[in-house]
Amino acid sequence: MRIAADRILGIALIGLAAFAAFKATQFQVTFSYEPVGPKAFPILLSVVLAALSLVLVFRPGEDGAWPDKRVALKLAAVLVVLLVYALLFTRLGFLVTTFFAVLSLARLFGAGWPKALLAGVLMALGSNYLFTLGLGISLPGGHWLPDFN
Amino acid sequence: MFDFLIHGFDVALTPLNLGLAFLGALLGTLFGALPGIGPINGIAILMPLAYTLGLPAESALILLAGVYTGAEYGGRMSSILLNVPGDAGAVMSTLDGHPLAKKGLAGPALGLSAVSSFVGATIAIIGLTLFAPLLARVAVMFGPAEFFALMVFAFSSMAVMMGKDPVKTGIGAVLGVMIAMIGVDSGTGVMRYTFGLAELYDGIDFVVMIIGLFAISEILLMLEHANRQDAGDAMPPVGRVMVSLKEVLYCKWAMLRSGVIGFIVGVLPGTGASVAGAVSYTTEKRLSDKENTFGTGDMRGLAAPEAGNNASAAGSFVPMLTLGIPGSGTTAVLLGALMLYNITPGPMLFSERPEVAGGLIASLYIGNIMLLALNLPLAGFFAKVLTIPRWVLVPAIAILAFVGVYQLHSDLMAIYLMLVIGIFGYLLRKLGFSLAPVILGYVLGGLMEDNLRRALSISGGDMGILWQSGISIGLWIAAVLLLVLPWLLPRLLPGKSPARA
Repeated sequence: MRIAADRILGIALIGLAAFAAFKATQFQVTFSYEPVGPKAFPILLSVVLAALSLVLVFRPGEDGAWPDKRVALKLAAVLVVLLVYALLFTRLGFLVTTFFAVLSLARLFGAGWPKALLAGVLMALGSNYLFTLGLGISLPGGHWLPDFN
Repeated sequence: MFDFLIHGFDVALTPLNLGLAFLGALLGTLFGALPGIGPINGIAILMPLAYTLGLPAESALILLAGVYTGAEYGGRMSSILLNVPGDAGAVMSTLDGHPLAKKGLAGPALGLSAVSSFVGATIAIIGLTLFAPLLARVAVMFGPAEFFALMVFAFSSMAVMMGKDPVKTGIGAVLGVMIAMIGVDSGTGVMRYTFGLAELYDGIDFVVMIIGLFAISEILLMLEHANRQDAGDAMPPVGRVMVSLKEVLYCKWAMLRSGVIGFIVGVLPGTGASVAGAVSYTTEKRLSDKENTFGTGDMRGLAAPEAGNNASAAGSFVPMLTLGIPGSGTTAVLLGALMLYNITPGPMLFSERPEVAGGLIASLYIGNIMLLALNLPLAGFFAKVLTIPRWVLVPAIAILAFVGVYQLHSDLMAIYLMLVIGIFGYLLRKLGFSLAPVILGYVLGGLMEDNLRRALSISGGDMGILWQSGISIGLWIAAVLLLVLPWLLPRLLPGKSPARA
């Protein structure tokens, strides 16, 4: 049997279906006025999912083009940037984190240092004013600066 | 019977709503023109902002619907100029649009596509005005069993019409429904699939879901495209955007036919602009391609898909407004946006919230004229948008996604969830899934379970209620036929498909 992305996916989805169905049988229903409780629909879905996934295992489609190592590393880098942006978003505040996030993303998408720095400054400041003054959204200010107010 | 429309124009013609319709049309055209940001992404990004602004439901819907129809206009830019469709609905526009641009007719091609978009959309909006109230009157007779059968029909029509692979469409829809199961069960208060996380008790927030699924996965896909070598040839000069009356008249039948086809495809639940473009192009090719000029820059080959995809955008509002069943991925998102306002579209919408239904339809008429007026003189400006580099675009999407999700509850957990969903969406897209079924499943999943359970509690657990009325039997038969026919027809008519095997 050829190993195809679809086969792996199909097997993983059958696992997911089994897990979802098992979890559904564990739901503790303390009271119910209805003939159909919260278990039936998830179990029905798991059966449908497993059946469709079986088709995928036996009749996989074409393997798509997957990124090579260099692109995969860049993808991981983008995800790390976004994750760090999220982690520090409230701690360091919107302005600072947005500046660094825009800077790193622009670099990852092929901008040179001067352009990336310019984009970082302009977009951090611009979006800050747009959101706070224009749309009245309160953005995290960060916990590291002394309170100016 | 057109009271709702008169009332609707009263709503749509207030200065605020006129301004929003214009803003939506403008932003939508821009979003549609930007490669990678289609109508869904545009709406996903704007929706939380519209909600924060405290706009009333009908105004928010007018803005977002303007973005939707505008994006269908804008999607043609990169199709014609760069041979890269700006969104799925504009794929067929590359076939004759790009050859036209290569011949030096970029300006006329853009002009013609704006006119055909206008004609297609106008036909469909008139269809929507006439047809929606009628359907709403029928839909009032729908009980839970009929709604359940209708959703089964919607999913099967989606599986057949959407995408290359019906199995993957089905899996995507089931995954979407399963995601909708997460959270507290409304019937019994049982926690389902929350894994003890308090943040999941209310389920996965709609905004988090669509921004993660579409915007974040798009960022990851854009990175791959940026690293591909074949991306884009030089943009041909646009020149003056002029289309002569003779050229428009040459395409009149292509536009009119495709407008009607697009409307019908749009009304079918689950099938959107990409199907409409494909069906109208192939129909027009079969009917009028006498000299084999389609594909080499025939004006009719551009007018047909453009009229078709814009007509389907308006047509897909019919099932969304009257039945609460979205006709496309984008209307699924709009439906979710309405639910944020505690409005569940359905047969009662026209009688209970006429300002929402009528206001939306009236604003479609107004927006359509605005779009034509914007797109003829400003096509050159919109074409400039195509040259915005990715290193500006991607950080901008990231900021909008983060702020949009963060401001919901000032909660970081939502952002982490968004990133996880983004990776999930990226993997699905790499594996050849279309995301529209996932979002349709997510939006319809809860309704589907509710209706099933309500139907069965009416009958005391007897499954027979599901196929008791004439309407539901008809829907079940239609659903089964849709699934079986594509497989059965070639076998029944062996002579019609010569030597395929």
